[in-house]
Amino acid sequence: MLKKDPTDMSTTDFAVSMSNVTKIFTQWQRDNTLKGLLKNLIKPEKQKIIALDDVSFTIRKGEFVAYAGPNGAGKSTTMKLLGGMLLPNSGRISVLPMSPQKQRTMLMQQLGILFGNRTELWWDHPVIQSFEWKKVVWGIPDKMYRDNLAMVTELLDIGGLLKTFARELSLGQRMKADLAMMLLHSPQVILLDEPTLGLDVVAKRQMIDFLKKINKENGVTIIVTSHDMDDLEEMAERVLMISSGKIAFDGSFAELRTVAGNFTRVVITMDNEFIPELIGCKLISSKNRLLEYDVDLAKMSVSHLLGQLATVEGIRDVEIKKAPIEQVIARLYRDWSSND
Amino acid sequence: MEAKITFKRIINLFAISAKMNLMWLLRDTKYALLAILADSISNISVVSSVYLIALRFGGIGNMSVDEVLFMMAYSTIITGIFILFGSNNNIHISRIIGRGQLEHLFIQPLPLKIQLMTCGFIPFTGGSNFIIGCILLIIAVNRLQLQVTFWWIFLLFAFIIATMVIIVARSYLVSSAAFYAPVAAEEISSLVIDGTWLLSTFPLSGMPRFIQVPLLTILPEGLMAWFPSLCLLGKPPLNLSEYYPLIYALFIALIAKYVFKKGLNYYVKKGSNRYVHYGFRS
Repeated sequence: MLKKDPTDMSTTDFAVSMSNVTKIFTQWQRDNTLKGLLKNLIKPEKQKIIALDDVSFTIRKGEFVAYAGPNGAGKSTTMKLLGGMLLPNSGRISVLPMSPQKQRTMLMQQLGILFGNRTELWWDHPVIQSFEWKKVVWGIPDKMYRDNLAMVTELLDIGGLLKTFARELSLGQRMKADLAMMLLHSPQVILLDEPTLGLDVVAKRQMIDFLKKINKENGVTIIVTSHDMDDLEEMAERVLMISSGKIAFDGSFAELRTVAGNFTRVVITMDNEFIPELIGCKLISSKNRLLEYDVDLAKMSVSHLLGQLATVEGIRDVEIKKAPIEQVIARLYRDWSSND
Repeated sequence: MEAKITFKRIINLFAISAKMNLMWLLRDTKYALLAILADSISNISVVSSVYLIALRFGGIGNMSVDEVLFMMAYSTIITGIFILFGSNNNIHISRIIGRGQLEHLFIQPLPLKIQLMTCGFIPFTGGSNFIIGCILLIIAVNRLQLQVTFWWIFLLFAFIIATMVIIVARSYLVSSAAFYAPVAAEEISSLVIDGTWLLSTFPLSGMPRFIQVPLLTILPEGLMAWFPSLCLLGKPPLNLSEYYPLIYALFIALIAKYVFKKGLNYYVKKGSNRYVHYGFRS
């Protein structure tokens, strides 16, 4: 697995830096037997969970980084550490370059945080009221507020939502309003934890386009977590993958595919019901004479694959395409899980 | 290093809370007025019952009817201030802690104490008890023919502040349990504060010492209205100094600060694995 060393750069170049950060949680273990209950009274059993294990990485200003990993890998913990909501057991964290723990109030003027499963909107007020509340609490200057409000209203198409009560918004509308509110103070760094959670295709599309736009045009540094790897691949240039509390991969999505194996999908349309056996290829689906195979082109050359296909009678059409990133990641997760 | 918070900023924070409260009142006026009315009736009923007993028996303990009225006025003012500044669970903080909602406060560019001090201000829907309390106080002062000097007014403010400090400190002290047991202690503040609120409106004059002393120390309900009222009437009970409520307020505030800070440190070290949205910004 590939792991980049934190690059040597001056503190003014980076937006986020984690250096040898370890975060350990303690979980109480309970046993429902009588013996277990008695034992729990005298000496409760605890289990140490290493959420982050000596994690180091740096993110430059203006980068769009996907932060991915299986459930319980430490993604949300990282977000909370960067947002000053948790203290690390050891290591140094720096954002812009301030300490989220020691300079929280100053940092929050330049940091935007959005958790997909939470809202910052006032439930029983129209959306615009929440925006005005934020203007006062963050001390946003009038001009900045007006400009940003105009920008988010146009780009996120929320003009029709401003007078609507937050409690009456759909999930997609609520996410857009939350995202808009987060941007009102012109944050330089944005932390998004599962922002596309529960969104339909259209809402997701709009959010992705918007995030790409503010990253490109305004130079906003964005760190986003999601379980949807296709979304992440579309948004981010760099992916940080975490597994069992350690950075397991740091690089581009293209590099990730190489590391995970050059998995390719071969789709064959047959004239008849025959299902050919192709050496080095794994049949994954067969329906209405449409056959799908998985092949690792790191282990087999394209010419060898085509050679095999040339010998098969009754092929009407062949399509060779990259395996979906979801599948690549699933393989990686399985590999990491078996290595643990 | 923290950002500097100016007085103007604090006023702006109170103002936005007040504005949102007014907006809510104007949007749902019918329901808001009903809520205000119900709240006022409920609190007037509590003090009226005590006052009616005093009327029937020509006073309670060593307190005359008008002195009881004065105490009821003080108690109503305290209730009024509690409601006026204590919406959004900023006083019943165990709810915010227990529900994992402190993280919403961490992302604001303000010190926690400033956020908590200003976020619960509801002058338009929460001011009725305070106004009623002030009216009752004027009536009682007139009936008692008290000499209202600047010093007396200063003492009145000092006792009101001390009583509020005791209420908030008690809440924050017990609420600290929610850092360690978020589910079990989510409602601990309302249980402790609201659960004993009725006791605080009862005049303890004439009660045996073994009842009065615990109610001025362990469970300080006697400091909510009875003791400060008697001090303002120039009759501090139990041969205690009239400064006792102020000293007690300082003492409990320091303990609460220490315990709450310890709990907060625990929270940011361990995190909260519980999050519920209800009651938040609703």
